[in-house]
This record gives sequence, structure tokens and C-alpha cells, in this order.
Amino acid sequence: MSTVSWITVRGLFGRRRFLLLLPLPVLLVGLAVLSRGLGVDPTDWGPPVLVGLGLAVVLPVVALIVGTGVLGAEIDDGTVVHVLTTPLPRWQIVLPKLAVAAGVTAVSVAVPLFAAGLLADSVRLGVALAVAATIGALAYTALFVAASLLTRRPVLLGLVYVLIWEGLLSNVVSGTRVLSIQHYVIALADRLAPTNLLGTTVSVSVAMAMTTLVIVATTLLSIDRLRSFSVAGETS
Amino acid sequence: MSEPTGVIHDIGYQRYTGPRLGRGHVFGALYLHGVRTAFGLGRSAKAKIFPWLVVGIVLMVAASVTAISSQLGEQIITYAQFADAMSWLVIFFVAVAAPELVSRDLRSGVLPLYFSRPLPHADYPLAKLLALVTALFLLLGAPQLLMFLGAAFSAAGMGAVWDELLDLLPGLLYAGLWAVVFASVGLLIASFTGKRAFAAGGIVAVFLMTTPIVGILSVLPSHTANQLSGIASPPTLVQGVGIWTMHDLLITDPDGPGVDLGPFGPLYALAAVALVAGCVALLLARYEKVAAR
Repeated sequence: MSTVSWITVRGLFGRRRFLLLLPLPVLLVGLAVLSRGLGVDPTDWGPPVLVGLGLAVVLPVVALIVGTGVLGAEIDDGTVVHVLTTPLPRWQIVLPKLAVAAGVTAVSVAVPLFAAGLLADSVRLGVALAVAATIGALAYTALFVAASLLTRRPVLLGLVYVLIWEGLLSNVVSGTRVLSIQHYVIALADRLAPTNLLGTTVSVSVAMAMTTLVIVATTLLSIDRLRSFSVAGETS
Repeated sequence: MSEPTGVIHDIGYQRYTGPRLGRGHVFGALYLHGVRTAFGLGRSAKAKIFPWLVVGIVLMVAASVTAISSQLGEQIITYAQFADAMSWLVIFFVAVAAPELVSRDLRSGVLPLYFSRPLPHADYPLAKLLALVTALFLLLGAPQLLMFLGAAFSAAGMGAVWDELLDLLPGLLYAGLWAVVFASVGLLIASFTGKRAFAAGGIVAVFLMTTPIVGILSVLPSHTANQLSGIASPPTLVQGVGIWTMHDLLITDPDGPGVDLGPFGPLYALAAVALVAGCVALLLARYEKVAAR
């Protein structure tokens, strides 16, 4: 484990506010257990819990908080200078941070999604959701790390993407789903475990290609941005 | 012991002899500053991007609704339904504005300066809350006014305009209810952290994670749980109060998938009042603690 990733992990877990991430996964499992326990039909509770809460809220929000936290917080309080002044190639700073962010997000989202998928249908659905959520975590965090290098308000920019683009627009104008990570994740999970619980209009091949493109492009963008990074003061 | 030889020079310090403005003026100044902050007025262009993005989208929706309505000659969305349709944008606006209002002051540690004025501890959070309520009300009320003007100019005769006005007023009241509930919840969450990024994330997480709970409760086998499900989440709680008080204005399609409240309408209103009162009480308690530090 490189020093950069070690610093990043400590930066994430060393603060009490990281505990704020716990309620979301716990709520996801809690609702799944409650519905299963009361004998509700999985076709009734599956879509709101698995997609409505799991893939549409928990995954992007956790990825947003973690993804903007690994680099954005250091930029915010100015300590990123200490990392930047070391003779490290920029990719050796971006990649470990991205790996930590994606790993933390994947663990805190894939585990409850696996449990919820298991309760809803089968082990296969659980594994499919966990795998798809892990890929989605990588894509989302790569996007949000890039956002934290492009603007001083990465969280708000990320919220615009999550709330307005994915939340509002994808439901009204279905064509925008082609550019929505949430629908790539749904398509992948549905391909790995075909059930009637998940459904999207995006094809699997498009989802695979676009996810790869998003991950590679935003990572390269982050490395490039960090190469010419200027340390500015607090903006209003 | 010798006599002291020092001399106190008069270097021209003067007492302030002008009028001293009291608590009311401090409150008014804080409130006005808060409303301007929510929209980024008087600040850099960067601070205006996100509030005005939301305002722009909301006004654009209202303008297109007005245009379509006047072309079709019938109302496609009532004034009250407009607030429901914009709920995600309202959440985003709260996530933008609430941290600007309170988190910056917490982070830069200027609260002792505020409380050294003739300003009781309760006034600071109340002025901020009132400012956020006003900003949200403007955000939801202005598009409704735009829709009203569009409908009024294409209406035939004064009678039709009067009917539109009677539709608009409950819609504005409903927008006020949205504003009060969302502002009190959002400001409370924002007041817990000095980091704007975390405050924004927390507000969105709280509002979004409660929505699926409603979805689950509404498919439970118990009929009572279905009818009470809306209480679990702020947007559906407000909607429940609206349906109870002005049913016809919110549910225009009698065969559509409406929300069934059963006999629990008053309970929804009570829950909304309790939610707002609880949030305000916690906010005041929070500022007692912050001010004491």
C-alpha cells in the first residue's frame, strides 16, 4: 500500500463524519429485511428498494461524498500542496486515491446490495448487484474525483449530475439514459441475473462501452488536470 | 516615591453619538443578508451559478407550461401541482442555499462577533430560517405568478381571471408550506457542519433516503400502513397535508394513481407541524451550544 493511499484512507476514516455514511447502507438492508419479514411480494418491494434506494440514491450519494472527499477535501484545506510538492508522477497520486475511493464506495454499497438482492430473489441477483455496483462505484468515483479537480464546488456539480441529470431528466427524456451511469449499472446487473425486478432501455453493449469510456476518460482527465493544477485561495 | 511623569495624549478618539439601532434592526439586516446570500446576490459570479441554474430551470418549466396551456386552451398542471413537480429542484436549492447561510459562519468562526451585538441567541438562527423560507417561497411562488399572468392574459373576461386567482392563492399557500418544511429540515442539517460540501451531501441524503421508505410502506399488506406511508418523507408529508386541505387542486385525474390518505389527513397536518417545531427547537438548541463555546 503506497503512502498516498495510506494518507487517503486515514483522511477518510480518521474523521467522525465518515460515520454519516453508515445510515444509508443500514437503511437499505433494514428495508429489505422488513419487507421480506412481512411477506411482501418481491416484485412490489424490489424496484423501490434495489433501484429506487440502492442504485439511485445510496450508490451515487456515497460515491459523491467519498469521491469528492479523497482529493477535494485536501484541495479545500490546502494540504494537497504537501502531496504535490513530492517528486511523484501525477498518476501515482490520482490512481491510489481513486482506488481507495472506489474500494470504500464499493464495500459500503455492494455488501448491503448483495444482502438486499439475496432477500429479493436469489444469490445470483445478489452477486449480480454487487458486481454491477462495484463497477458503478468505480465509474462514479472516477467522475467525482475529476469533478473535484475541475471546480471548487465539486459536491454541488455532482449533485446537479445525480439529481437533475439522472434523477429528473432520465425519467422524462429517456434518451438521456444513454449518458447515465445509473442505467449502465442497472443494465449490467440485469444482464448478469435476468429477473423482472430490474429494467432499463440501455443495451448491455452500450453500457459496457460507455462505462469503460467514462472510467478511462475521467481518470486521464484527472491526471491531466492535476498536472497543471494551480493552488488558489478560498473563493466566495 | 516620585510623582508619575507620564502624560495621556488626546489623540482624537471620539464616542459614537449617533442613533443606536436595536435588536429589530440587527434581525432585519441578518434576514435581508440571508435572502441575498441564498440567491448569491452581492457575491461573485461563481456563487450565482447554482442558485440561478435552479431558478432558470423552474422559470423555464413555468414558461413552457404557460405556453402549452394557452395553446391547448386548458390547464395541464394546477398551481399546487407545480410545487410537487419541482420537488427535486427544491431539494437541490436547499442543498445549495442552506450551507451558504449557516455553514460558512460556523467554519470561519465569526459567530462570537454576531453574538457580541444586541442579538439574542435565538434570533440568529431564526433570521437565517426566515431568509431560507422566503427564498424557497420566491423560488416556488414566482413561477406560479408567471403561470397566472400567462393564464390571465389568455383568459376570456374578468370572471375567468378571478377564477384563476382563486386557484393561484391556494397554490401559493401550498408553496409556503413546502418552503417552511424544507427550510427547517435543511437548515438544521446544515447547522451541524462547517463544511459546505458535507452539509450539501447530508441534506440530499436525508431527503432522498426517506423517499423509498414511503415506497415500501405503501406496499405493505397493512392498509393503515399504506395510508400512513406518506408521513415517512418530507415531500410526501407536505403532499399529504395538501391533499387533505385542497384535494381537488392536487388530484385532477380522479382515476389516476392518487395517494389514499384514508381518515388520517389531520394526522399528516399534525406530523408536519411537529416536524417543523422539532427542527426549529433542535436548531435553537444547537445555537445555544455553539454560542456558548
